[in-house]
Amino acid sequence: MYKRILIPTDGSDVAEAAIKQAVDLASKYDAELHALYVVDTDAVAYGLGAEQVDRLQQGKFGEMTELREEAESATQFVHDLAEENGVDVVEHHAGGQPHQVIANHAEDNDIDLIVMGSHGRSGVRRALLGSVTERTLRSTHTPVLVVDYQDVE
Amino acid sequence: MNGATLAADAMALPLQTELLPEGLNISFKLLPAILVIGMMLTFLAAGFLYKVADSDDMWVAGRSIGNVENGMAIGANWMSAASYLGMAALIALSGVYGLAFVVGWTTGYFILLIFLAAQMRRFGKYTAPDFIGDRFNSDTARAIAAITTFLIGFVYALGQARGMGLVGLYILGDPGIPGVTGYQAMMIVFMVITIAYLSLSGMLGATKNMVLQYVILIGAFLVGLLVTGWTAGFSTILPQLEYGVLISELSAEFSAPFAGGSYYLWIATCFSLIFGTCGLPHVLVRFYTVENERVARWSTVWGLFFICLLYLSAPAFAAFGTALYGSEIGAVYGDPGMSSAAGDVIVVLAAQLAGLPSWLVGIVAAGGIAAAVATTAGLFIAASSAISHDIYATIINEDATQRQQVLVGRLSIIAIGALSIVFALDPQQPVAALVSFAFSLAAIVLFPMFFLGLWWENTNRQGALSGMIVGLIVWFIPMFNEGNFGLINGGAGWGIDVLATWMPAIGSGLVGVPIVFAVTIVVSLVTDEPPEKTKMLVRQCHSPDPMDRDVTAAEIVAQKTEDRVTSDDD
Repeated sequence: MYKRILIPTDGSDVAEAAIKQAVDLASKYDAELHALYVVDTDAVAYGLGAEQVDRLQQGKFGEMTELREEAESATQFVHDLAEENGVDVVEHHAGGQPHQVIANHAEDNDIDLIVMGSHGRSGVRRALLGSVTERTLRSTHTPVLVVDYQDVE
Repeated sequence: MNGATLAADAMALPLQTELLPEGLNISFKLLPAILVIGMMLTFLAAGFLYKVADSDDMWVAGRSIGNVENGMAIGANWMSAASYLGMAALIALSGVYGLAFVVGWTTGYFILLIFLAAQMRRFGKYTAPDFIGDRFNSDTARAIAAITTFLIGFVYALGQARGMGLVGLYILGDPGIPGVTGYQAMMIVFMVITIAYLSLSGMLGATKNMVLQYVILIGAFLVGLLVTGWTAGFSTILPQLEYGVLISELSAEFSAPFAGGSYYLWIATCFSLIFGTCGLPHVLVRFYTVENERVARWSTVWGLFFICLLYLSAPAFAAFGTALYGSEIGAVYGDPGMSSAAGDVIVVLAAQLAGLPSWLVGIVAAGGIAAAVATTAGLFIAASSAISHDIYATIINEDATQRQQVLVGRLSIIAIGALSIVFALDPQQPVAALVSFAFSLAAIVLFPMFFLGLWWENTNRQGALSGMIVGLIVWFIPMFNEGNFGLINGGAGWGIDVLATWMPAIGSGLVGVPIVFAVTIVVSLVTDEPPEKTKMLVRQCHSPDPMDRDVTAAEIVAQKTEDRVTSDDD
């Protein structure tokens, strides 16, 4: 049923909760896992400056060490967990608007299932921060499994 | 105007409750309004087109930004309302004194090029506070640098707001809202539009938009100058040289050296502007994105060329404006003389007084707005990154998600915008003076940290912290003394004459920079040396060995330290 499962991750606890489910599913279906880290170009523009967006567009992600390390450690987590469970992993790093990139990636790579974490925010917090997961749902035709993250503390 | 400082002159201004440039044709003009609206829409469209381009694979080399393109971006980022309007204004109002701006704002690039650009590139950080925090191993230092960056953006933006408001008066006229003067209404309108732009599209400061903004502003300025000179019969094809014949006809206040500002004030202003240029966070960031050190150097050369196109023309525009004002409105100097509000729009005023059609004057005015918008974009993004990256994501919430950073960034843009609007309602100084306060701040607080941080390995955390704190205090003293921000004595300030003469806010760098250097060096000497790793990092930043593009100094140092440990084991 699922041959290729996409797991977008930003390295947060929310994403990690979803990763566990995705790895489990992938090992049950013997599917290939695609770990995708999206550098949000908006966040780069406001956080580091528009010049750094230019730098990303020039394909100089490799020299932006801190950003690269964050992306690598996020997908590495998926890689490690998948390896423990004998699942094949492909790691991707991309830049743009996260929901758009996720949807495009799913389409281009014949993804059968997207597994994503969600904060389950509501009210003002949701209005302000929005939800990448929610936007992804609206941008893709691929089935999406949403894993709600409950803060245990 | 006597030499006691421009500030003294401007201190009389609060009496003049409304900013109203005399002689300027204030009314709603359809064609110029369409031009300006069209221009703003083009910026937004360019920002939007740029934004939707998602890059699926960031490891593949894309198209790189060339020297010329980068030079234009440097030019647009750099040239604000202060260059477009303020420089000609100061030359018109205070003659030779205004040349301190032409000299200071270009010379700074040489210092930047020789001592800072390539070395900063090697250090490999994204923002100025990032550099300070990592170099001095201190989050407190990072926070002070971030707050300073925010403060620089705020003070700088006051000048842009004043410029936009005054030019807006020409284009849209006084809407006649009760309780708000025409200037205030226009300033609020254009600032709100700029803030909305930036909150919608953080990409406004990206290179593509910068190039577009540069082309518009330089085109408008040069065409305006050529046509004004031609129509009024002052010049033919090279007004930048031909205005020379006017010198002997203009009053002595225009052409006599140091009639409009003492020799000391000239030197102090120039000094502050030169070193302020090297400490401005939104200027330094452009050097991180270049391909290599060679491109960094060549784009500076191109940047200077593109800047000089305007700077060599500004004195000519000022001379034409002064001559036209003298013949059509009244005496430029003496009482009442040209007001600083009229001075600030002298570029637009000259075009209008030369009898150009309103659409052509509108183009000149639109160029001023383009200049203000381009620079405000760069400044606000630098301020928002100081808050969202350096303070929020690095200090307050280390696990901040990307979305949270976007939110904090947007909120800080709105905050700095609102703050600028409130304080620009009644600006007490001309555009160029307001902007030079930001330069004094950058020169006093940030430049010594960059320079010592990169070139003297023994500069340590204690030295940097005490240097920056002393610097901030030193900067505030003349600001309050001259009553800026209107916080002390209802805008009159302490008014200590000796201080105003020897440490004018407009050029406080001349006194402040050596003080901060001394404090930083002395404190660094009497406290412990920085860790060996930091010293190696500094050496790596100007080591003669070539460095690969995709590594930073920190990585090389980590590598070396590792090698040493392994060889010790052998």
